[in-house]
Amino acid sequence: MGVNTNINLNQQEPAGGQSLSVIWIVVAGLGMIFGGILIATITPSIFPQQASAEAVQVDNLFRFMLAVGGAIFLLVVGVLVFVIVRFRARPGDLADGPPIHGNTTLEMVWTIIPAIIVLVLTVYSYQVWVSIRTLQPIHNSVAAVGQRFAWAFNYVITPEDLPASVTLDQLEEPIRAAVTSEAGMNFSSAQLHTWMGQQMQVSLRTEDVNHAFWIPAMRIKQDLLAGRETSISFTPIEAGTYRIICAELCGSGHGNMAGTVGFNDDLQGAWLIVHPDEVTYLREFYEPEAAKVLFPPEDPALRGRQILVGAAYPCATCHVLDDLGWVGNIGPNLNNIGVRAATRVSGLTADQYLRNSIRHPGDYLVPGYSNLMPQFNAVAGEANYMPDTDLDAIVAYLLTQQQ
Amino acid sequence: MATISRPLPGAAIPAAKQLRLSDYLRWSVDHKIIGVQYMATAFFFFLFGGALAMMIRWELLTPTLDVMSDGTAYNQLFTMHASIMIFMWIIPMMAGFGNYLVPLMLGAKDMAFPWLNALAFWLIVPAGALMILGYFAGQAEAGWTAYPPLSTIYSLGDGQTFWAFALHLLGISSILGAINFIVTIKNMRPEGMGYFQMPLFCWAILATSIIIVLATPFLAGALTLLILDRVAGTAFFDPSRGGDVLVWQNVFWFYSHPAVYIMVLPGFGILSEVLSVHARKPVFGYRALALSSMAIALLGFTVWAHHMFTSMTPELRIPFMVTSMIIAVPTGIKIFSWLGTLWGGKIHFTPAMLFALGFLSMFVIGGISGVMLAAVPFDIHVHDTYFVVSHLHFVLFGGSVFAIYAGMYHWWPKVTGRMLNANLGKLHFALTYVGFFFTFFPQHIVGMLGMPRRVAVYAPEFQTLNIIISVAAFLLGISTFVLLYAMALSLSNGKRAGANPWRALTLEWATTSPPPTHNFHGDPVPYRDPYGYGTESAFRYLEDVDRRYGVGERDDDKVPVPALRGSGD
Amino acid sequence: MDTQLSRQERMALANRRTGLFIFQLSWIMVFVCLTFVNLQIRGNFASWPPEGVTSLNLFLPTLATAGLLLSAFFVGRGLRALRNHQRAVFLTSWQIALGLGFGFVAIMAYEWLSVPFSEQYSTIFRVMTGFHAVHALVIGIMLALVYHGARSGEYNATRHWAVEGTTKLWYFVVVAWMLFYVILYIV
Repeated sequence: MGVNTNINLNQQEPAGGQSLSVIWIVVAGLGMIFGGILIATITPSIFPQQASAEAVQVDNLFRFMLAVGGAIFLLVVGVLVFVIVRFRARPGDLADGPPIHGNTTLEMVWTIIPAIIVLVLTVYSYQVWVSIRTLQPIHNSVAAVGQRFAWAFNYVITPEDLPASVTLDQLEEPIRAAVTSEAGMNFSSAQLHTWMGQQMQVSLRTEDVNHAFWIPAMRIKQDLLAGRETSISFTPIEAGTYRIICAELCGSGHGNMAGTVGFNDDLQGAWLIVHPDEVTYLREFYEPEAAKVLFPPEDPALRGRQILVGAAYPCATCHVLDDLGWVGNIGPNLNNIGVRAATRVSGLTADQYLRNSIRHPGDYLVPGYSNLMPQFNAVAGEANYMPDTDLDAIVAYLLTQQQ
Repeated sequence: MATISRPLPGAAIPAAKQLRLSDYLRWSVDHKIIGVQYMATAFFFFLFGGALAMMIRWELLTPTLDVMSDGTAYNQLFTMHASIMIFMWIIPMMAGFGNYLVPLMLGAKDMAFPWLNALAFWLIVPAGALMILGYFAGQAEAGWTAYPPLSTIYSLGDGQTFWAFALHLLGISSILGAINFIVTIKNMRPEGMGYFQMPLFCWAILATSIIIVLATPFLAGALTLLILDRVAGTAFFDPSRGGDVLVWQNVFWFYSHPAVYIMVLPGFGILSEVLSVHARKPVFGYRALALSSMAIALLGFTVWAHHMFTSMTPELRIPFMVTSMIIAVPTGIKIFSWLGTLWGGKIHFTPAMLFALGFLSMFVIGGISGVMLAAVPFDIHVHDTYFVVSHLHFVLFGGSVFAIYAGMYHWWPKVTGRMLNANLGKLHFALTYVGFFFTFFPQHIVGMLGMPRRVAVYAPEFQTLNIIISVAAFLLGISTFVLLYAMALSLSNGKRAGANPWRALTLEWATTSPPPTHNFHGDPVPYRDPYGYGTESAFRYLEDVDRRYGVGERDDDKVPVPALRGSGD
Repeated sequence: MDTQLSRQERMALANRRTGLFIFQLSWIMVFVCLTFVNLQIRGNFASWPPEGVTSLNLFLPTLATAGLLLSAFFVGRGLRALRNHQRAVFLTSWQIALGLGFGFVAIMAYEWLSVPFSEQYSTIFRVMTGFHAVHALVIGIMLALVYHGARSGEYNATRHWAVEGTTKLWYFVVVAWMLFYVILYIV
């Protein structure tokens, strides 16, 4: 009993058969290798645009793995096809095959070669990993906040970052205090802006459940974990616009938590916008946006509109509001809310109802909708913090929606 | 050289008592009945889970949400699809195969603990009821991975709690079954059958059972904490109160990665049996196949955090990459050994063999994509995308389910005493193979291009691929009905199978089909080599079995011929 | 009744022994899991116990642990005595063991109820000790039932699987507790 390791051929090899087998093995081997390489050439067409330094490395690693994997696939399937053709039992042939139990040499070969392949892959992957991760903090840093179901990107204005034509004493007092404070003044945008060639770091924080920050074109992804701050970095090498996608199941709107393209080809939701250089970045994004918060409109309704457009709060994912181009389909429609809010609950004015709906959304559910809206709290440090000043402005704006 | 003892002159082999449907619906400690109960129940849930998959693919025909009422309803679809397929289809189905076959392969009358065996099965019934009850209480919607805080604070229905209790019951069932298998295999092998003389399916079940007993308790721990957080106000996973969401991820995956080997190792065992018998050739590299199963079982405990490459501490990514790469080696050994088994054999294209060949071609793709996923820089791009969905279905459907199908076609005659129609089987295979490939292969591409998983809403440029995938999935769904029809036809009017229609050497075939209550007529003596095809003595043994236990209805041209001359003995 | 075991009985005994061993190997993993959870949670805090939280008592649980270890000794002594046809020694040893076991549960119940509440520190303590207590109680009750049966003469020197099985299960309770004791009170 036990393993019989003798190869027991039941036919004589034809003369010169040995060298013929070797030739066939060499041919098959070459076919495998070239086939694998051929398969690997499709790599660019199954990846999104290669827009970061990291992407180049990842794609090359993948191309190599696809070549190796493709070769192995060709080997296995090639042998299968050969076996099916050459060793099929002819009709009526019920004899057994030869009693071959194994071949130690062959088994060692097909243990050692895969081990070597796997070792090579490990080393190569390690090298790519070392070069794409960063250890030191980077200047160009943006804070991203994920919440159900939208992304907000927070930029900082410090006295050093003031737009060219602005000086500190031009600013109103509360705003000047914010700018000169240790943390600087924040403004937020639905889109992430940076410029080409500059390594960028994004710090990641979630307001509620776990999310994941993924930019396919950059080949980078990092989970947002409740209770922790994580970060990701990348270096764009192509100017352009790139979709940002949430890649961790976060609830009913998980699929909505990604950049989309609106009817007018406008970018909605989370996109990465890479400007060709810092000058363009400042001119087309940073300075206009900074100016909006440094010199906010007097009219609270206009201020409210500005806040909502800035996407510090994830309202756009769930609500329809034509004035702002919102097409969310999870929560009630907000068109004409300025009028309707007064009629929703007897005893509550429109103003009171709107404030309540934002501070305590579960109180008066609209029939047909579930209790999914986050509660926007008034105390700094609590989840989904919305200061009273913002709330006032937003409610003022919503009250103007009377079409 | 051992042979079956000759019957006394004039003694007739008693016909097996025909079992009725009602025998399978009540408590029984007979491992054969329990095995069928497991397999029938599992198959029911396969259809249920498959129906959920059809709904998912229907929704994904368009990039917007237009089939399900809202995102929550859609999330429930894939949560239950995965939970049911993993815990109520594959794991119990493999347990069913094990239950039916292991005592027979070892020449035993039953498992070591028959009463415990029955208990393990009947735990599945309330578990399944709880899963279904979840639909009436706000079904679980956080994916089968149930990451908190989505599965705790943000899942308000009770379905998630029912889900956790159901999985508790299934875990206990699994552990009890595994204990039974280990003791049976260790203590109840017949005289002369050392570990290295037992069938590879038994090795596979042994390795699987070792994983189950060591890993499932971690699932129990994770589920207990989840339930406490949901109903008892604890804060294990609530960071605002000092908890940590990564505790769940680590504990959950410490079980759930070995779980995938629980799902595939028995399939590997089935492959070895089917390939050897239907290619009429010994298994190539028996020892390597046996030991690689154990190696995979043990190494499988070292890789779990590769499911967490984008959420774990970055410094730990590389060690888990290393362990995940290493586990490819024993798996590769198996594939090459199976190719070696086929090489030089006499391949019969029975449905069982077709599905085994399908396994070999599709599982290798899953294995290759698995190695790619082990590479951290690449995984970071494709983690939580359809690339992963593709990989997991290649190994779980292209692997485990194909192996299950092969096993069904192979052992159906033994269990029922009837043959499954071979032409229907070939049709089933063709539809399944084509449907499977075009459902799942394009998912690699759409994932790499930027489609995340677990979404009903996606970027419009992916619609073409999604339509192809969905149409192929509908074909895959339809293919199941061919099998159902074939099974019904066989039970009502199938050809009588006889004891050993495939002329196999393992001990389950050395008795009538179906076997009598005590499995064997007299004391069974195993043939010296469960894979000893190609020898004169094997031929004589098989003739003996045919003579003693009867041949079924055979087609005219399938008359056995004597073994090759000079083929070694 | 004191005759040699038949082949079938020996086979059943071998199966039961292997089965119990595998079960224990499996079940200790839940305790290992809770240990791991404890370690991972405490790794998130600068100090353990966290700021402002009182440490667990040391004296009473250590006393209880000593009692538990002693009970294991007595349970084993009882089994050996039974095998040596020393029925009286068996019964007395188990009486003492049951008393010690009950004392352990009583002390730990007191600890469980009196520990001041904190979100993580006391909660993980209570989950771990509570989980262990369930096992100590269930297996303790099994011990008591077997003891009761033994007093009625149910077991002898050759046929006493219930005694052997519950002895081993009680060892399991003790080993599991030692793991928890080290994690909760020493490390």
